Amino acid sequence: MFFDSPEYMKYKILIFESIHKVLKAEKILLKNNIKHEIVPTPKEITSDCGMSIRINPEIVNLQDITTMLLNNKFEFKVSDKEIV
Amino acid sequence: MKIIDAKGKLCPLPLIMTKKALSEINENETLKVLIDNDISVKNVTRFLEDNGLKANVEKKGDIYELTVNKTGNIPESVKAEDYCSIDNAKVGNFVIAILKNKLGEGSDELGELLIKGFINTLPEATLKPKTIVFMNGGIHLAVKDSPVIDALKKLELLGVELLICGACLDYFKKKDELVIGRVSNMYEIIEKLTQTAKVIYP
Repeated sequence: MFFDSPEYMKYKILIFESIHKVLKAEKILLKNNIKHEIVPTPKEITSDCGMSIRINPEIVNLQDITTMLLNNKFEFKVSDKEIV
Repeated sequence: MKIIDAKGKLCPLPLIMTKKALSEINENETLKVLIDNDISVKNVTRFLEDNGLKANVEKKGDIYELTVNKTGNIPESVKAEDYCSIDNAKVGNFVIAILKNKLGEGSDELGELLIKGFINTLPEATLKPKTIVFMNGGIHLAVKDSPVIDALKKLELLGVELLICGACLDYFKKKDELVIGRVSNMYEIIEKLTQTAKVIYP
């Protein structure tokens, strides 16, 4: 339940080089049952109309995810986003 | 005494912070919550009093200092966010009609990704829709295992009405899997679509 993880905490945004990579990365997260959300890339990060993957580090382990994606040859940046 | 600062936080955060802080202090210890808007003060006071705790509120300048003695425990099952009044969610006079589980035409794969981004961002929109209706393949976004269920729950708590086409749930055999919103019919959906300033079809 989302309210069990307070919303004022920081999310991590994974930013990929293209929408195709986002689609592929999402498939991997889905296959491994990793909770995530697809969100538009925050305006303060890029003015492109891009999509990113948002994860809640309170629920899922960021390190596990980055390792998994790096093992699958993904290149991405990790950014913080606080949502109130 | 424990002091928490809920200034600048909108509902339900002051409620959640208060509940969490109370669970962390000892019996008979005092908690002070700093709040900067009267709606949150009312919500937190109602939350405490409904659960048998007495709140004292003092206004110092623009800041409210709410103090409460922990004379009892608030059960974990009590949902703090249920005490959120929707006064600070701005709901506009428009309806979003979601008729499929994707956004736009062109690529189904891209459309499925875009609709997730669209709905996950709606809770952050300055103006929230009055109602969201889900019909045909759109109902898949409102049932168990939907990738946007958290965002829809959030919208519902913010006062957005979610209506799901009953015939569609029946057709897709998803009646038992509806987890948010309310089952509706064409009569009500037509009223919603025709009595609003605009309808957005993503």
